[in-house]
Amino acid sequence: MKRGWIAVAVATVAVFGESRGAFSITVQDAQPQVAAADSVYGCVLCHADKRKAFIEGIHSERGIGCHDCHGGDPASLETSTAHTGTYIGTPDKLATVELCGSCHSDPDRMRQYGLHVGQIAEFRTSRHGQLLLGERNTDAPTCTDCHDAHTILTPDNARSRVHPANIPGTCADCHQDESLMAKYGLTTDQFELYRESAHGVGLFEGQNFASPSCVGCHGSHAALPPQVTEIANVCGQCHVLVRRAFDDGPHGVAAQAGALPGCTACHSNHQTERVPSDAIAETCLECHDAESRAAQLGVEAEELIVAAENDLQTADEAIGELVVAGWQVSDLRLRYQTALTDYLQIAEFQHSLDVEQLEDLGRRVGSISRDIRATAEVSAEQRWEHKLLLVPVWFLTLSAIVLGWFKLRSLKE
Amino acid sequence: MANLIDRTRDVLSRWRRRFRDDLKASTDASFLTAPRFFGLLYGPIDRSLPIDKALRKALAHRLPAHVGWRHALGGVAYLLFMVMVVTGVLLSLHYRPSSEEAYGSIQHIVTGVTFGWLVRDVHVWSATLIVIVVLAHMARVFFDGAYKPPRETSWLIGLMLLIVVLMFGATGYLLPWDQWAYWTVTEVLNTVAVLPLLGGLIVTALTGDAFVSGATLSRFFALHVIILPWIAFALLIFHFRMIRTQGVAPPRGTAKSETEGHPFFPHHLLRSFLVSVVVLAIVISLATLFPRPLAEPASPVEPPSELVSTWVVVDVSLALIRFFGPWGFVFFTLLGLSMAFIPLFDRHPERRHRPITALGVVFFVGFAILWLVGHQLRFAGPDVGASTPTEIAEPAQSGPE
Repeated sequence: MKRGWIAVAVATVAVFGESRGAFSITVQDAQPQVAAADSVYGCVLCHADKRKAFIEGIHSERGIGCHDCHGGDPASLETSTAHTGTYIGTPDKLATVELCGSCHSDPDRMRQYGLHVGQIAEFRTSRHGQLLLGERNTDAPTCTDCHDAHTILTPDNARSRVHPANIPGTCADCHQDESLMAKYGLTTDQFELYRESAHGVGLFEGQNFASPSCVGCHGSHAALPPQVTEIANVCGQCHVLVRRAFDDGPHGVAAQAGALPGCTACHSNHQTERVPSDAIAETCLECHDAESRAAQLGVEAEELIVAAENDLQTADEAIGELVVAGWQVSDLRLRYQTALTDYLQIAEFQHSLDVEQLEDLGRRVGSISRDIRATAEVSAEQRWEHKLLLVPVWFLTLSAIVLGWFKLRSLKE
Repeated sequence: MANLIDRTRDVLSRWRRRFRDDLKASTDASFLTAPRFFGLLYGPIDRSLPIDKALRKALAHRLPAHVGWRHALGGVAYLLFMVMVVTGVLLSLHYRPSSEEAYGSIQHIVTGVTFGWLVRDVHVWSATLIVIVVLAHMARVFFDGAYKPPRETSWLIGLMLLIVVLMFGATGYLLPWDQWAYWTVTEVLNTVAVLPLLGGLIVTALTGDAFVSGATLSRFFALHVIILPWIAFALLIFHFRMIRTQGVAPPRGTAKSETEGHPFFPHHLLRSFLVSVVVLAIVISLATLFPRPLAEPASPVEPPSELVSTWVVVDVSLALIRFFGPWGFVFFTLLGLSMAFIPLFDRHPERRHRPITALGVVFFVGFAILWLVGHQLRFAGPDVGASTPTEIAEPAQSGPE
């Protein structure tokens, strides 16, 4: 029995000894390997917290180690010898840009990952880059302020600071700092306004990552507020048809001339307010006289749009009534979708202020809506006709009761 | 002209006399004479059977003097059951029990079949009224003490019939396959699943899938139109046989009915006829004035914003589940089932134990209150729980406008 236990112990030692030999990494091998996998990597002896953050990032996955950015000798187990040679410690903001650019601006390195190499060039054109690289103003962010220094995650990682849903928060880290923004005459309400906007609701509540965050309009590395003449173009990247209608109308001409701040004239910028359909005419009065032809156009457009909205709503209610009554409504739903498409075209064409086009679309919406409502009315009439059945039913019932009552009385007698 | 009229009158008069003489001259001037005369029965066969005699005996049977209108509740329940059988058979001609076709076939019945709307809504309203009438009948029997020996078996069979009626309604509730039906059944099954030991087994056997699906619909349909009707008919025959054998229970506080009342025919049959006519008129009126609404087709991945109840038991069940949780539902069900054991503890013909009275009051009054409360409330859509299929639903996407 004792011999048996000894044999097991020897075998265990042999197996673990073998596996240790197979998986242990020498200092020379470790340098191009992932730091996390390297138990003899000298840096982690002191910087265990950094190691923990770093191994979660994409750089760790790609085999980049501490010394690739910070220099020094990772094979050394003593601080005095490790922090020597190429060691640069913690790079400052300017050095960080150069350091990141040393790889990310190199097409030969980035090609394999499908990454473009223009970030540093773009950054130089941004307001952030102008401040940091041009004016040496360290209030401006550097690469690590947005991407983190060690836990560098890809944008598709939900924990990344540059994930679409996290970008507004990342920007707000600085842009909500009142003392910092006061230096540059900037307001700090952008994040709150954005959260309430259609874009913010789409992103945060709808989890729709196609909804633009800050970078959708301002750019990411080349972040700059759009110029007045650029605003319609920025919005038009997504709202293609609206932009086309806007350009065709009188406001488009004014916006191209720089006399109108594009879409933001009516919708504001960060809040991107929807103009309620019953407030269109009122919005026009912010710029136009009440007696002007332009104001009259606004009134006409509002009436058309409100009427189309009402038509859609009543058609929707009519379909609901028919569903409850057990009618087959697939054809009507298809027609409703057609009306909805026409209504959405109204929303587009109102930007061109082409009233004839709006009237035509409004007529189509109204026609479909009337058809749907007519079907609901037929259903309601049928339900009413059903109630007529109660007349003979209760006539016969009451007759039976009266006759039966007399018969019962005669039986009792 | 006058001559022609006289001749016609004479021919008709002769034909009527001959018809009456033939009827009189038929082999047996009994209740079966008319059908026999028209060839609906074959004399030599039915004369050899005591059908006529049994019929005469049944009609001449005298009921005790205390039997009155309130004793009609059992008959009304039977009438409603037969209405449901007839309307159910008519519905089954058009209904298709598959998840793809069920909803569409209901739409077809309501809008495409002549008087289909009436047949369906009479079926639906009968399902609600039968529960109320059966419970009222049960309450009458309970408070009359008619469950006491020797009628304890009859009471037990009656209770089993109540369960069968509830099962009829529960299995039928899913058949429209709309959102309200689907998610109400899902919620109730989730509640039943919390029962230790048996809950999971019952739910698995009923659903036949990981969640309420086409397999569940098939099972519910089979139970509703094949299995439960046989059980119901067997129990009904047994129940009627017990009543016929043991007679109607005497008034409360007396061991035996002393006086003999009126014969079943014509007194009680006329009363039953009057009650039946009124009940049918009420059912048709309810069906016409308050047709059962239909929700959107069932969608296992999208709970409705609210659950609209269309059956009295669903009102009670949702009220219990939402206000007292799953165990409230289980406790009330057990309270109802405990009524089966009352005859074991309350055997004295003239006295009643107060705890037993309290039990009955809690059950019947509780049911009424829960029904009223549940009917007034509009229940929000079901909470997306771990056992609902909505777990696999993808988050809704909405684009910016």
